[in-house]
Amino acid sequence: MNSEIVGASVRRVGGQERVTGRYRFVGDLRLEGMLHVKLVGLDCAHARVDAVQADAARSLPGVHAVVTENDLPRPMPRFGPVHHDRPILTTGYTTYHGEPVAAVVAETEELAAHAAQLVRVDYTELPSVTTVAAALDPTSPLVQDPDRRSGALAFTNVLSESRFGWGDEPGAAELVVDEAYVFPMVTHFAIEPHTFLAAPDHDGVQVWSAVQHPFALQQVLAELLGLPLAKVRVHAPDPGGAFGGKQHAKFEPLLALIAQRLSRPVRLELSLEETFQAVRRTMFEIRLRSGFFRDGRFAFQDAECNALLGAYADIGPRVVSKSTYLMCGPYRVPSARIHVRALLSHTPPATAFRGFGTPQVVWALESQLDEAARRLGIDRLEIRLRNLAGPGEEFMRGGKPADGDWGISLRRAAEEVRWSEPLPSGRGRGVAVGIKASATTGASYAIVRLHVDGSATVLSGTSDMGQGARTVLAQIAGQELGVDVLRVRVVMGDTALVPFDLQTSASRSTVFMGSAVRAACQDIHRQLVEMAAATFQLSADQVSVTGGLVQLPSRKLSFAELLAEAFAGVGGEVIGIGSRRGEHVGTHPLGGPPAFYEFSATACEVAVDDETGELTILKHISVADVGRAINPAQVESQDEGAAIMGLGHTLMEHLLFDKRGAVRNLGALDYRIPTTKDLPLALQSLLTENGDGPGPYGAKGAGEGGLFAVAPAVASAVAEATGAVVRDLPLTPERIWRALQDTKDPSDA
Amino acid sequence: MAMLAEPRYHSPEVLDEVFTDLEHFGPSGLPFAGGTDVVVGLRKGKLAPRVMVDLKRVADLAQGIEVNDTWLRIGALTTLSRLVAHPDVRSHFPALVEAANTVGSIQIRNRATLAGNICNASPAADTAPALLAYHARIALVSRHGIRQMPVADFVLGPRRTALRAGEVVNGIDLPLDGGVAGSSFTRLTRRRGVDLATVSVCAVVDRRGTHIAYGAVAPRPFVLTDNAGVLADPHADPAARKALLTGFAAHASPISDLRGSREYRQAMVITCSERALQTAITRRHRP
Repeated sequence: MNSEIVGASVRRVGGQERVTGRYRFVGDLRLEGMLHVKLVGLDCAHARVDAVQADAARSLPGVHAVVTENDLPRPMPRFGPVHHDRPILTTGYTTYHGEPVAAVVAETEELAAHAAQLVRVDYTELPSVTTVAAALDPTSPLVQDPDRRSGALAFTNVLSESRFGWGDEPGAAELVVDEAYVFPMVTHFAIEPHTFLAAPDHDGVQVWSAVQHPFALQQVLAELLGLPLAKVRVHAPDPGGAFGGKQHAKFEPLLALIAQRLSRPVRLELSLEETFQAVRRTMFEIRLRSGFFRDGRFAFQDAECNALLGAYADIGPRVVSKSTYLMCGPYRVPSARIHVRALLSHTPPATAFRGFGTPQVVWALESQLDEAARRLGIDRLEIRLRNLAGPGEEFMRGGKPADGDWGISLRRAAEEVRWSEPLPSGRGRGVAVGIKASATTGASYAIVRLHVDGSATVLSGTSDMGQGARTVLAQIAGQELGVDVLRVRVVMGDTALVPFDLQTSASRSTVFMGSAVRAACQDIHRQLVEMAAATFQLSADQVSVTGGLVQLPSRKLSFAELLAEAFAGVGGEVIGIGSRRGEHVGTHPLGGPPAFYEFSATACEVAVDDETGELTILKHISVADVGRAINPAQVESQDEGAAIMGLGHTLMEHLLFDKRGAVRNLGALDYRIPTTKDLPLALQSLLTENGDGPGPYGAKGAGEGGLFAVAPAVASAVAEATGAVVRDLPLTPERIWRALQDTKDPSDA
Repeated sequence: MAMLAEPRYHSPEVLDEVFTDLEHFGPSGLPFAGGTDVVVGLRKGKLAPRVMVDLKRVADLAQGIEVNDTWLRIGALTTLSRLVAHPDVRSHFPALVEAANTVGSIQIRNRATLAGNICNASPAADTAPALLAYHARIALVSRHGIRQMPVADFVLGPRRTALRAGEVVNGIDLPLDGGVAGSSFTRLTRRRGVDLATVSVCAVVDRRGTHIAYGAVAPRPFVLTDNAGVLADPHADPAARKALLTGFAAHASPISDLRGSREYRQAMVITCSERALQTAITRRHRP
């Protein structure tokens, strides 16, 4: 038996179906008697809806309904993972560009789209809030009705505000750097469009959605519809890319209500443009006032973080609190004062997005360190090494100590770009690190069924959205049960079949669900020992299970051999149950300590065209501290994917809004993401494996880290190459060109 | 989002049927070949024809490239992929190959035609500066016969051409007797793969002078010529050359849009023209 399943780059489970087009994504599903839904929105952000005139649409043959707020329960039910602020369908006002005011239901997708064009909405356009400055301006319109909010902030656009810190008042710093950094709104751009189906199901409802958290969606639907959880069945086919954008309920509640009302299955597929309007990354403006000693060590850190959320909270407040918790990064900072505001605006809801706020915070912090290094005349690698927490060091006052030897990864990244060697002119190098607090609380359960022939079925509530969870869980089960991965089936994505999992996010699945699967396998081991003892009339201490085999005093048996003996004539299987829970800790600012830190180092070398501002990344190195790679090829591909995704917000991506609050670059033509031609000329991912993670076999989570530090590393390289420092992302050629104009001495012209 | 309109689809096999369609449907009939711009226009609701007249199967329109002593004739149905693979185009008109290779992606170029790129009349059409700088002429055919004009006169402004009712493109001719010595196309984009030009420039040095054509920086592409030999002379006073190119750039009237600001484009017009010219001159001295 192959005992090296864990640590081997076995082929991805489901990979062949995907590359041959045979995989059935949620968008490929068709239900008998299904109707199609098209949403009706406005081309501005903030408006009072005066009337919805739908007679023309309703009178078309084949149109079954035009649903408006009048057709839904009153008061309008609301939902959301942090605040229940998002209505099933908006009432009276739109609060972001494209927010639907009506839903047309028709026999075909084309007819629904045509009928949606015929719905006339009379509305009065109102001023909108789309910037941090506007959100903080007390004279701006309020995004949310103060009657639905509470507390002192209800009459402001500040959704939440916090101040925290540690240490004494700052002493004498030898250098104070005071700069502001902007990280733009960007969209997830999963290739699979958001698609939702709902169908009445006797006394319950069934919903199909490529959602990361099927059990959270089940909970939302049960509450809104007044149904027991057991009567809400959520099918969650593997998403075709999610990146955080498919975590929480969106239009599933609307679809479920329409399905109930019309007693027909219904389907809604968002266009790419509608997806842009549904979810995006949280935008940050961060002002840092940082004190340094002459040797480059931090003296203090004062941070003012303003995060621009959208019209509804979604998971945004958690994004903001969790990312700014590490506003001082992996560094030793003796004194810190951090002021954080989450702001509402008339923009699409900001939600989770790979990194969960970390790239935004890292952009500011790492750029600030570079500024200090330049002013102090200290090497940019050296200043990081001088501040970086060592293994076991409590770098966050009262927080989880450093759980890795992070200097190893940082040095590796720098060495790979030949950090200390001279460069030709017009070239520059950058190095930066990022750290994220991983999953804190939450439970994952797994059931593993060992069949009589030794093959196994794993039941898990994790979603495989491309990160390869199916493969990793199959490898863990295969390793523990001594069975080839090809003989393991992993069942996911159906709340009626698989046990509870809180969520698929925060790079938690390998650690949490992986541990649960391993525990379930160990439960099977215990049962096998009992079974072997009973079958062969031995005492339990005469039997053991190792390396996928049952060890008896006289001989070794495979699991299948034991089961054939034990179940002879009767049949049966061994069912193991396992779980991993992160308990709530009320005193911890995050509700509980992170299970691990996700640490990443990025280094790059760039060439800048100083006439056009165009930049070429010659080399890009990403080092991930993963504890143990259960499937190295998958970890590397995840890390490379994250690095490339990071190049998007670094080089070209940003959502832009016009004066009416409408997205100006709505769609693939004007919102640019990197193509293969935009990739670094050389891109490499390296893994640091010290076996120091809390997951199975010493694994930590991975897959987000590669994008944490891309932007500051590239910007640092640009600064070295040209002297131009850019503090607003993305680093478009025009922005670099402008910065170059600003740095050029007028007397040279 | 506009719903895809449902125009009728005609696929005539001879030009006579094309003319009948165009006469019958007038402005609501839309002739097209590759359709790569037309489909986008339909999806966005910017085009709403009653009849789509597909020219791809019209036997009297050429799909290929014909060469004689004085002209290289690119048939109306010649795709960009076919264009860039043609040995005579590659040897005589390398800047057109460079320009055509920047249009969309390989899939788009397998479908899109050179004639279509010009008829779409985008100010940023990638092949337009090259055609202007090479003094290409466009042949238009109707029931009344064929007429020709410089491509420079054909494109009138954004989405506007000199195409008359009842007319379609017959082909595009590139002169082989112009004595092209060196040429080059350069453009600036927001990203390297599949993007629209922020600024594009083509420089051609030939017997008559140095021609510099500009795209994406004015309502329509335009070409300017230096007959004094300053631009073509590698030993000319750099200040004089720069002054001339700056004077040329003053003809640009770029707008600010999502691809770039007016100011950046104006600066890049000069940078791109210097680079295109430099490459054209370098190529001139190669065997």
